[in-house]
Amino acid sequence: MRLVEIEDLHVSFSQHDGLVQAVRGVSFGLDSGESLGIVGESGSGKSVTCAALLRLLREPPAKITAKTLSLSGHSVLGISNRAISTLRGRVAAMVFQDPMTSLDPVFTIGHQIAETILAHRKVTKREALAQAVELLRRVEIKNPGAVTNYYPHQLSGGMLQRAMIAMALSCEPDVLIADEPTTALDVTIQAQILQLIKDIQAETGMGLIMITHDLGVIAETVDRVVVMYGGKVMETGPVEAIFSAPLHPYTRALLNSVPGQTAGKQRLVEIAGSSPNPSHPPAGCPFHPRCPLAVAECRQTAPPLETKAAGRQAACIRVAAEMVAA
Amino acid sequence: MTGFIIRRTLSMLVTFIVVSIVIFLMMHSIPGGPFDGNEMPLPDNIRDRLMAQLGLDQPLYVQYLRYMWGALHFDFGVPYQSPGETVMGLVAHAWVPSLVLGGSGIIIGAPIGILLGMAAALNRNSWIDYVASALATLGLTIPVFVTSTLLILVFAVWLHWLPASGWGEPKRWILPILAYAAVPLATYARYARSAMLDTLNKPFVTVLRAKGLSERRIIFQHVLRNSAIPMVTVFLPMFVGIATGSIFVEAMFRVPGLGAYFVSSIEKRDYPLEMALMLLISMLFCISYLLSDILYALLNPRIRVDGSRR
Amino acid sequence: MTAAALELRQVTKRFGDQAAVDRVDLVVPHNKVVALVGESGSGKTTTGLLALRLLAANGGQILLDGQDLTPLSQKALKPFRRQMQVVFQDSYASLDPMMTLGEIIAEPLGIHGLFTAAERRDQARRWLEKVGLDAGYATRYPHELSGGQRQRVAVARALILGPSVLVADEPTSALDVSVKAQIVNLLQDLQADMGLSILFISHDLSVVRSLADEVVVMLRGRVVERAPTDMIFAGARHPYTRALLDAVPVLDPKARRRRSFMSAEEISARTPRYRAAELETQPLVDTAEPQLVALAGSHFVEAIVTG
Repeated sequence: MRLVEIEDLHVSFSQHDGLVQAVRGVSFGLDSGESLGIVGESGSGKSVTCAALLRLLREPPAKITAKTLSLSGHSVLGISNRAISTLRGRVAAMVFQDPMTSLDPVFTIGHQIAETILAHRKVTKREALAQAVELLRRVEIKNPGAVTNYYPHQLSGGMLQRAMIAMALSCEPDVLIADEPTTALDVTIQAQILQLIKDIQAETGMGLIMITHDLGVIAETVDRVVVMYGGKVMETGPVEAIFSAPLHPYTRALLNSVPGQTAGKQRLVEIAGSSPNPSHPPAGCPFHPRCPLAVAECRQTAPPLETKAAGRQAACIRVAAEMVAA
Repeated sequence: MTGFIIRRTLSMLVTFIVVSIVIFLMMHSIPGGPFDGNEMPLPDNIRDRLMAQLGLDQPLYVQYLRYMWGALHFDFGVPYQSPGETVMGLVAHAWVPSLVLGGSGIIIGAPIGILLGMAAALNRNSWIDYVASALATLGLTIPVFVTSTLLILVFAVWLHWLPASGWGEPKRWILPILAYAAVPLATYARYARSAMLDTLNKPFVTVLRAKGLSERRIIFQHVLRNSAIPMVTVFLPMFVGIATGSIFVEAMFRVPGLGAYFVSSIEKRDYPLEMALMLLISMLFCISYLLSDILYALLNPRIRVDGSRR
Repeated sequence: MTAAALELRQVTKRFGDQAAVDRVDLVVPHNKVVALVGESGSGKTTTGLLALRLLAANGGQILLDGQDLTPLSQKALKPFRRQMQVVFQDSYASLDPMMTLGEIIAEPLGIHGLFTAAERRDQARRWLEKVGLDAGYATRYPHELSGGQRQRVAVARALILGPSVLVADEPTSALDVSVKAQIVNLLQDLQADMGLSILFISHDLSVVRSLADEVVVMLRGRVVERAPTDMIFAGARHPYTRALLDAVPVLDPKARRRRSFMSAEEISARTPRYRAAELETQPLVDTAEPQLVALAGSHFVEAIVTG
């Protein structure tokens, strides 16, 4: 049984000036022990996909439809609020982008970890607090006992993100979903948090979904990659294959545009134009207006995500067989 | 925290003294004096003697210091308009109806307003939200004398359920209290709604959901507590209304409260009464701001835990 | 020797009893890009504001093309303001939502009383094209643009006065990867065209590597290392610079490795040590306090010097 199964997911938001189609037919899955990276730019639909998986979007305005949307075999579509909250935190836990605003400022760190445990397990408050201390120790916070009594504003961003990870681990979830967990942090702290997430994943064997815009974070942390653009999956495959021989023109362009890959002052390879407007996505392939390989057919029909090589899929009619072989 | 309270109290005292000086100067800067009425002009020599007797011939700072010294001993002088009483006695006597009116108005208006605002925030963009927002807007925009007139018209003139004015028995209290309650109700509804919405949109609420907490626990433990922090700053200062009642409501329903004296003391340059009323209000404002600061600090760990710096 | 486009000498800024910027020396030569890098709390943004005289320093000198700006009043500064412009990270907050893009770009010309209204409109349209937007955008409003397009407008507004120095504070940090490259290229092109000198403040070492001629690394208000870009990336001497470089994720999944992390104490314990004879200039000898010393090849590092 797969930990996460997403099949043909669509998410739209009704706004006063029309419908925003944030996710348009996304499918992927996660096996136990696997780590999956979802990479995309703002508006690609990567965060909305995972928020939909935990049903964290307000409905309405959000509207979620899918053939399958399930966590460890439990469908999350059409179930009650109470039923979904027993899955959240226990089956799938989440870590968010900005640790400074992710914790309630008026309660202590210990309280906020303990309340997560109390929501899912029959333990006393005292036991939950003792577990909170252990969890903080596990995320390598020095003097965890004292930190349980701290309020969020008394900790640095890096420490808070560690506490958030401790909180996410508190009910031993099957899947950890990390949504840009290092974007708001300093470079050196970023590296430490990524290392911590990797270590814990290796230790517990839980599934990991890492959502990020940063190709470097993907290269450093995950086994398999889903590349999203304009609400659709452009390409999926093993991380090494994606980085050494990207199939989709978007993935290729994205990799080439990363600055600082070689020494010396230089012009960068840019992708002309800007990301599609989710209120009026272009017909056909969402990348065609910026794609150097686009032909007439790309403008008319959106190519399906097809297997192009073992374990590799791409949504592009211009991916030739010889490119895959290369 | 103790240091915080002491600092706050001291700064409140300074504010109060400055405010009292400003009020005193403004009061005396209005042209004319207590014996300048046109109907029965007093001969100059009698006027001068009266002025000297009341100390009004002294320089302003002497008058101010004398008054404040008296006030420190709860001696606020004698009202010029009824020399048989003391200011203290008059205020104490007239305060009771204002207190009943303002107190009941807030006790009724505040909880209903808060509940209304909460309901609106939790059901945003639904009919509950629209009705609550419409009520709040009406309550804040329709002048009190219009509300009062409507209440009198409906309940006294058409339905004959309640008396139109007066104060004596509790039956007469109902309409003025309802008229008065409209404003706190509307104010609290609006603030409660925006404070709740503000908190509901914070990222940590999504995190609480993602942890698997029940919606009830999220609202009652986290959202309410966080929303209360900005609300206390509006809450307490409104209690000053208890002291002053509402000049308009009292006038509309002929409630023998403090309201009438505000107007008459200024008109008649009844300096001791005017000053006493103003000092009373400023004092209440200062205390309510102090209390709301303390409450704010108690609710907000940022201030409670590391003092007011940072 | 000609004066540098922008120079900071021993500039200090204190907030309360804390020095946010502590005796910082900085030189932006003509027609060069100098990157100022560091993490939050390093004082890099404060240094930028001090250089622009948007914040008053507690000590030191700020020189624009050799002219000391420090003693000048805000009014006397006005002509120099034309010479020095700024682009911030958050273009949404820095563009007035009530003004059209044309008005926004032309505004600096109006402030300095240059040209007629019609000429200013023409200039604004020309600048829209120069930064890669259609001149027709002149009548649009900021909310109609994407993040990258807004940043282009911010660049146009900064450069319309023809400044010699541009301070760019994290101008690409809020942008998507594919758009980031566009803005970096735009800055490079304009720099070459106009002979601009740029102080590029950033935490993003990858962008710095592609854009800067020289890198200045700040840590807790102090400059700890300063060298030509290639030298920083190939042979950084200060442990903090190395830690920063080491923390950047590598784009190659095959090159994954476990990193070791240094605490602040470990970093200061590893402050480099030199004997005075090894150095290019004569430093103060036998002071316990670290100082910025010169190595070969315009490479400066904060170090402890022994006799």
